[in-house]
Amino acid sequence: MSVDFWINVGVLAGIYGIFTLGLQLNAGFIGLLNFGQAGFMAIGAYAVGLLVVDFGWSLWLALLAGILLAVIGGLFVGISSLRLRSDHFAIATIAFAEIVRYVLQNAEFSGGNQGVLGYDEEWRTLSDWALAKLALIGLGDYTQLPLFIAVWLAFLVLLAVLIVLQGTPWGRVLRGIREDEDATAALGKNVFAYKLQSLAIAAALAAVAGFFVALNVTFLYPSVFDPTFTFFGYAMLVLGGFASYGGVVLGGILFWTLLEGTRLFDTALSAGQQASLRFIIVGFFLLLLSRLRPQGLLGNRAEMRVRP
Amino acid sequence: MTAPAGPILEVRGAVKAFDGLLAVAGASFDVERGSITALIGPNGAGKTTMFDLLSGFGRPDAGTIRLAGRDIAGMAPYRIANLGLVRTFQLTRVLAGMSVMDNMLLAARNQPGEHLAALILSPGRSRAAEAAARESAIGLLATFGLAAKAGDYAGALSGGQRKLLEIARALMTGPSIVLLDEPMAGVNPTLGRDILDHIAALRSARGTTFLFVEHDMDVVMTRADKVIVMAQGRVIATGTPAGIRADPAVVEAYLGTPHAVAP
Repeated sequence: MSVDFWINVGVLAGIYGIFTLGLQLNAGFIGLLNFGQAGFMAIGAYAVGLLVVDFGWSLWLALLAGILLAVIGGLFVGISSLRLRSDHFAIATIAFAEIVRYVLQNAEFSGGNQGVLGYDEEWRTLSDWALAKLALIGLGDYTQLPLFIAVWLAFLVLLAVLIVLQGTPWGRVLRGIREDEDATAALGKNVFAYKLQSLAIAAALAAVAGFFVALNVTFLYPSVFDPTFTFFGYAMLVLGGFASYGGVVLGGILFWTLLEGTRLFDTALSAGQQASLRFIIVGFFLLLLSRLRPQGLLGNRAEMRVRP
Repeated sequence: MTAPAGPILEVRGAVKAFDGLLAVAGASFDVERGSITALIGPNGAGKTTMFDLLSGFGRPDAGTIRLAGRDIAGMAPYRIANLGLVRTFQLTRVLAGMSVMDNMLLAARNQPGEHLAALILSPGRSRAAEAAARESAIGLLATFGLAAKAGDYAGALSGGQRKLLEIARALMTGPSIVLLDEPMAGVNPTLGRDILDHIAALRSARGTTFLFVEHDMDVVMTRADKVIVMAQGRVIATGTPAGIRADPAVVEAYLGTPHAVAP
């Protein structure tokens, strides 16, 4: 059971990794507190599910449409709320995500709590083909391995793209805005436009994560996308360190290893108690880290200390 | 933009109130192209508010502000900066968590790499602009005695060095007019003189206009071509340093009585 179990953990870590890259782009690099990432993810995932099931679209075309719709959602949130102060903006984003979730839960088009089923046929065909290839090297028994590979491939490619982008003059403007948006505006940078771009890209990343969530859970229901998803992402950020994309990878691996690994211990506790204990352990770890290494695993201590 | 002749900055009847208190109460003045102009006045005269209005950080309740003939009142700060008016802040605002060099490079104008589309379509142009910007940043940092600090975090600089960086960064944008809010405050006098020399040299070389708020009257009297005096939100006098010194309205605004005149 163990390998399958860890492959599943790896799938989750990779999905959350893609999701959290967007949070890093927002919170870590431009200083936007986006707490609505789960809402953008829900838009992406449901767009995929509904376009395939109700409209007969190809899964891959639906993925593109899902990304586009999430970006539109990001622009909508940005244009309506970016002029708010940063903490107020955070509240607006979480409100947006909850609106999305409640609509999906109660609207007819989204199937309510029954959810959406039967959109992943094309993926299964591809997955079976991949499994046949994997069987050649003796890995054909791990049914989730193709998804694991796809998720991590996507994660690493997106990671590389974002790292490259961050090293450009564009990325420098983001950091300038994070440090002092008035000073950056006084140098001729359109702060609003950059925040909007950052938000739109984060929404696109959330949609990609939502696509993989859809493939992973095989049927979509609203409670998958509750705000906890976003807060897990932030926990990974705190562990890995702000303003470091590598930190997202490390934070993700550590977070999921801690959270899921603790399932494996045999204790005298009931299942419910042990499930809660896992979160206590993760919480304790976060506290310990903030005491010993406040910048996170890969965060930059020197950069943190020079700030006023 | 428009006619090269005429004042670079024309302010007419600018008004700005905060909760009914008139910080700027109908101020009018011109700043001549290529001049070094001082804006002085007692505390609370409205100098910093005026700077905010000029740079887009405040929208005037009434009045017009023209930059090279173009109305900029209420325009967004970034647009005003891109039209060539760049300011520094009274309390320095360096980008603490970025290197001194990155502070400078951020200020470079016409960097196509700051736009995603251009970055992807023509990365070569971005790199070329970056190399050119780095070169002029190195030159400016040398002028301001910050060359050795290029790799340090801006947040690790001393107060005076931050002031220098902020001025150097403003100049990095290649501005036509620079607004300096108390550039000498917290800077040691020798360094301060160097800054002033550099400002004078830049004005001669590039025709850059400088408008600065300053409390050190020695600096104002020896370095400015023209002085604008504000009191209680209004411009009460404009003229040459010598003329201002002799103006009874100015003396009264500062000292409250017409008797004690500084030698």
